[in-house]
Amino acid sequence: MAATLCRILLPKQGWLPFTQCVRHGSKSVTRHKRPLHFLKQKLMSVTRYIPPPRPAPIGAYPRQTIRDQEDDPFTILIKKKLKSVFQESKMIAVVQNSGSTADEMMLLKYKLHKHGITVKFFPNQVMRSFLKDSTYSNMAPLFIGHTVLFISKEPKVKEMLSSLRTSRHMLLLGACIDNTLLSAQGVVSYSKLPSVAVVQGELVSGLTLLTSQTAAMLQRHPAQLSALLQQHVKQQSSEGAPKAQEAT
Amino acid sequence: MAASSKVTVVLKAVKNITAQFCPFESNVGSTRMFLSVMSSHKVRATNLNCEVISTVKHDRSEPVVEITYLDGDKLMLKGAKLNCSEMLSAFQSMCAAKELQAKLAAAKK
Repeated sequence: MAATLCRILLPKQGWLPFTQCVRHGSKSVTRHKRPLHFLKQKLMSVTRYIPPPRPAPIGAYPRQTIRDQEDDPFTILIKKKLKSVFQESKMIAVVQNSGSTADEMMLLKYKLHKHGITVKFFPNQVMRSFLKDSTYSNMAPLFIGHTVLFISKEPKVKEMLSSLRTSRHMLLLGACIDNTLLSAQGVVSYSKLPSVAVVQGELVSGLTLLTSQTAAMLQRHPAQLSALLQQHVKQQSSEGAPKAQEAT
Repeated sequence: MAASSKVTVVLKAVKNITAQFCPFESNVGSTRMFLSVMSSHKVRATNLNCEVISTVKHDRSEPVVEITYLDGDKLMLKGAKLNCSEMLSAFQSMCAAKELQAKLAAAKK
């Protein structure tokens, strides 16, 4: 096919053919890679496919700490609620809940509600970010895992401890009572403290003990008083004599 | 927590589990997670006689989980430098060894 084409294109001798036979002389399908025409080579290099960079597999690198990220509106709402809770309530106890059923939770909530203690659940992340900014930053390590908050306006520790003792799965971790952070043992010792009135009464009675004794002595018969004073003088003199003997 | 959802923990050879930790320390996370896994319904349902006792302390001590088996052996897991999944895998390997021993003993009889 190519040979017949060549013959027609060369009519006279000595003349250059006005049409060149392009189809003969090189094959299109070769075993080696045919050198591309320069223009085609340029075009191919310009239009080369560059795939997008594939991300690293999950878990290959540690997570970058995302700083200065704005809170979403739900988080802001929860933080407002938390702020009001911390301002209003005197007792905030943190309890770890390890697998209690819904029935047990309901019973516990009912028991505590009778004494005015509310049971609240807050997400740990929000809690920790709120505590970081507030003055209660030392409570932050308590909030790991499934935690429950017991909140009350008055510190009713005895009732709370009794209800926690009956429930098997709730574990008291710590409490913030009257803006003081207490551990579990601290809470127990706080519960054993007598009430404020009792302590005040004890203090007053201790201070007025001596004055009341002197007042009672003065009110007795004068003969008794003179006998007491003579005894007192004798004791003082006997103490003074041995001391002078020791000195010499 | 992915480990616990894929592989169930069986407590058949365990007598009781005691744990003590100080919640104000920063190395307590793994111990608490381990405890919560052990106290979940599924795991407790495998052996109702097994007790999970946990004590909260405040003396900067290291978190320790002690597991007592039915044949008297004890496994102590010090959770200060351990991951939750590592503790679980150690516990499960011990339990598997105990089960094998029990099976062999039953087969001999």
